[in-house]
Amino acid sequence: MVDFARVQKELQECNRDFEVSGIKVMPKSDANLAHLLGTIPGPLGTPYEGGSFKIDITLPDGYPFEPPKMQFATKVWHPNISSQSGAICLDILKDQWSPALTLKTALLSVQALLSAPEPDDPQDAVVAQQYLRDYPTFMGTARYWTEAFAMTSSLGVEDKVLKLVEMGFPEALVRSTLVSVDGDENMALEKLCSG
Amino acid sequence: MEDYMSGSEEDYYSSDREDSLDGLENDESDSKFVQYKAPSCKVITKESLLSAQREDLRRVMELLSVREQHARTLLIHYRWDVEKLIAVYVEKGKACIFAGAGVTAVEIVNLDPPEASSTVTCNICMEDVSATGVTNMDCGHCFCNSCWTEHFIVKINEGQSKRIRCMAHKCNDICDEAIVRKLVSEKHPDLAEKFDRFLLESYIEDNKMVKWCPSIPHCGNAIRVENDEFCEVECLCGLQFCFSCLSETHSPCSCLMWELWTKKCRDESETVNWMTVHTKPCPKCHKPVEKNGGCNLVSCICGQAFCWLCGGATGRNHTWSNITNHSCGRYKEDSEKMAKRAKRDLYRYMHYHNRYKAHTDSFKQESRLRETVKEKVSNLEATDSKLRDFSWITNGLCRLFRSRRALSYSYPFAFYMFGDDFFKDEMTEKEREIKQHLFEDQQQQLESNVEKLSKFLEEPFDEYPEEQVMQIRMQVINLTVITDDLCKKMYECIENDLLGSLQFTIHNIAPYQSKGIERAAELAIGWSTQAGSIKKCQKADGQANGCIIESDVPSASGISDESEHSSRKRARKGSFESSLFDLNLPAKFN
Repeated sequence: MVDFARVQKELQECNRDFEVSGIKVMPKSDANLAHLLGTIPGPLGTPYEGGSFKIDITLPDGYPFEPPKMQFATKVWHPNISSQSGAICLDILKDQWSPALTLKTALLSVQALLSAPEPDDPQDAVVAQQYLRDYPTFMGTARYWTEAFAMTSSLGVEDKVLKLVEMGFPEALVRSTLVSVDGDENMALEKLCSG
Repeated sequence: MEDYMSGSEEDYYSSDREDSLDGLENDESDSKFVQYKAPSCKVITKESLLSAQREDLRRVMELLSVREQHARTLLIHYRWDVEKLIAVYVEKGKACIFAGAGVTAVEIVNLDPPEASSTVTCNICMEDVSATGVTNMDCGHCFCNSCWTEHFIVKINEGQSKRIRCMAHKCNDICDEAIVRKLVSEKHPDLAEKFDRFLLESYIEDNKMVKWCPSIPHCGNAIRVENDEFCEVECLCGLQFCFSCLSETHSPCSCLMWELWTKKCRDESETVNWMTVHTKPCPKCHKPVEKNGGCNLVSCICGQAFCWLCGGATGRNHTWSNITNHSCGRYKEDSEKMAKRAKRDLYRYMHYHNRYKAHTDSFKQESRLRETVKEKVSNLEATDSKLRDFSWITNGLCRLFRSRRALSYSYPFAFYMFGDDFFKDEMTEKEREIKQHLFEDQQQQLESNVEKLSKFLEEPFDEYPEEQVMQIRMQVINLTVITDDLCKKMYECIENDLLGSLQFTIHNIAPYQSKGIERAAELAIGWSTQAGSIKKCQKADGQANGCIIESDVPSASGISDESEHSSRKRARKGSFESSLFDLNLPAKFN
C-alpha cells in the first residue's frame, strides 16, 4: 500500500517552495493520491528554457520503497526521453532508486537530465543520433518542440483556436474539443487528429 | 607405485607377457583398487549446506577479523572465491575490499545514545518515531524500523536478498543480515526464511566450485570440487556428469568439443552438407539427384531431364552444347572443389563417428556382462578350485568399462583435434600429421588391448578346466594393468603433447581417473542444521569446523597427488593455487 501520509507531506513540502524551485506536484484527482501530475520548468540556457513540462506520476503500491513511475506528458525532444511515449531513461527511477529520495528530488533529477543529456545511453535512438551527428539541428528541433508543446499555456484561448483552425480543423469542433480537455492545446490536437 | 610402473613398463608392449607376471604383481594390482584416494569432491545436501560454507566463512572471519555477516557479504561479492578475496586483500588492502563489497566494519560509536523519551524523524516516512523504534545500520544511516522492514520485504521479493543495500541515496552498504532477519521475521517469518535460504544457497549459486547436480528429477544435492573444476563426478544419486559443463562425462573430449560433437551427431549436418553440394533437387519430383556421368544433361528416375548447371527443367533435346549464355560454366571448378571437400569432410566425420558409435554400443552391450560375470563368479566359487580370489574378474570388468568409455570419447576428440574446426592455425600440416600419428598409435594400442580384455571376459571360463581358468586369469590381470596404463598414457599424450602445446586455445579435459568416475563423498555435518538456524550454528562454530577440517586434510594431500598427472596448463594454474593454499594452511590447522 502506498504510504499516503508521506505522499501528503511530500506534496506540502514540495509546493511550499514552488516559488524557488518552480517544481509543482498536484494530484490528478483529489480522490486518488497515487496518480499525480508534476510540472518542471525547462532549465535556463537549454533549448527547453521557458517551457513548462508536465510529467505523469504513478505511485506503485510499494512507494516509497519502489520507485515512482514517471513519464513526460508534454512532448519533448531529448535523447533520454522517448519522443513517442515520453518514457524517461533515468537510473534513479530504476535500480538506483532509494526510499530516501522524494518526488521532488526525482523531479529535480529529471530537470537535471534536461540540461545534461546522456546520448550514449539513449531512450530515443533517433534523437540520440541527431544529437551526436548534427547538434545544431538537434538544438533546433528541441527548441521547436519546446515552443510548440511546452509553452502553449501562455496562449489565450482564442490564440489556440486560431492555431488549430489554421491546421485545418473546423472551428466549432476545435472549440468543443478545447473545452473538453480543459484548454490543453496538445491534448486537443491529439483528440482532433484521432478523430 | 612409481617404481612398480617404471619397472614393468617394457613388458606392456611385448606380446607374450604371461611369464613376466607372477602372483606378487597380481596382488599389487589388486591392492591398487582397494587403496582409495581421499575424495576431491563432496556432495552437499540440504542438511550440510551450512556446514559446507563454514570453512570459507571462518577463514575470512579470521583473516580480516570481521563478524560472520560481513564475511558472508564479502564472500558473496567475491563469489565465494576465497583465494581471489585474499589476493585482492594482499594487493589492495582491507579498505578496498570492504568498500567494493559494501561493508563498513568501522564500529560506529554513537556519540549521543538516544534516550527512550526522545524522538527522531525518519527521513523515509517523515514521521517522528521514538528513539527505540529506529535502527542504525553499520554505515551510520538511521531510519525507523517499519521503513527498514518494508524496504527489506520489497528487496527480498525482488530476489535481491543477497545484496540489500542501505536505504540512503547513493549509500553502497549492504544491510546487516542479522538486522534484516530480525526485522523481517517479526512481520513475515516465511519471508525471513526465504531470505536465509537465498543467503545459504548463494554458496551454490554464486560459487564456481559448487554446482547443483543436474539430475532430472533433481535430487536436491550440490557437488563441491576441491581443486579442479575440470573433472567428472558422481553424485550421491548415482548420476555421473562432467562438473564443468554438466553434461554426461566425456573425457578425453573437452567440453567444447563434446558440445559440438553432440550437436553434429544430432543434426547429421555432414550428410546434409554433402547432399546440398553433391545433389540437386529434380525440378519435377524434388528428390535429390546425384550426377553419375559427365554430361550436364541429367535425367531423374522420374523421367524428368534437367540441366545440372542451372537446375532448370529441360526437354530431352536440350544438350549441353547448345545451351547459350551459361555463365555458370566458369564456376564449375569451384563447385567441384567444394563437392570434393564436402565429401571428404563427410567421410572423415563418418570414420570417427562409426568408431565412436561402435565403442559406445560395445559399452552398452558389455554392461550386460556385469550380470553374466556375476553368474560365472558364483559358478566358479561353487567349484572345488584352489582359486579363491575372484577379484580379478570384477577388476577386469571395471577396467573394461572404464577403458571402453575413454576409447569411445577419444574418437570425437581426435575428430576435432586433427580437424579444421579448432586448431587449424595452431599447427602446420606437418605437425598435425606427426601428432595424429602419435595419438593414433596410442589409441590403437589401447583399442586392441580393450578388445582382447573384452574377449577374455566374455569367454565362458566358468566351464573351463582349472588350468585354463588360471591362464585366463593371467591374461585378464595382465590386460587390466595394461589398459589402465595405456589409458593414462593416452590422457597424458592429450594433455601434454596435444592440448598442452597449443598457443592460443585452451581446452581443458577432466583428468584420467583410473578407478572410474569419482563418487562425491558426503560432507560431514557437524551440527544438525536448517535454513534459518545460522545463529545456532555460530555457537557451535568450533564443533562444525572441526569436522570439516578432519575431512579436508586428506583431500589436501590429494591435491599434490593429482597435479602429477595434470596437463601443463592445469599444472601452472594448480601450482599458483596451491601456493595460495599453503599460505593459509597454518591458519587452517590452528
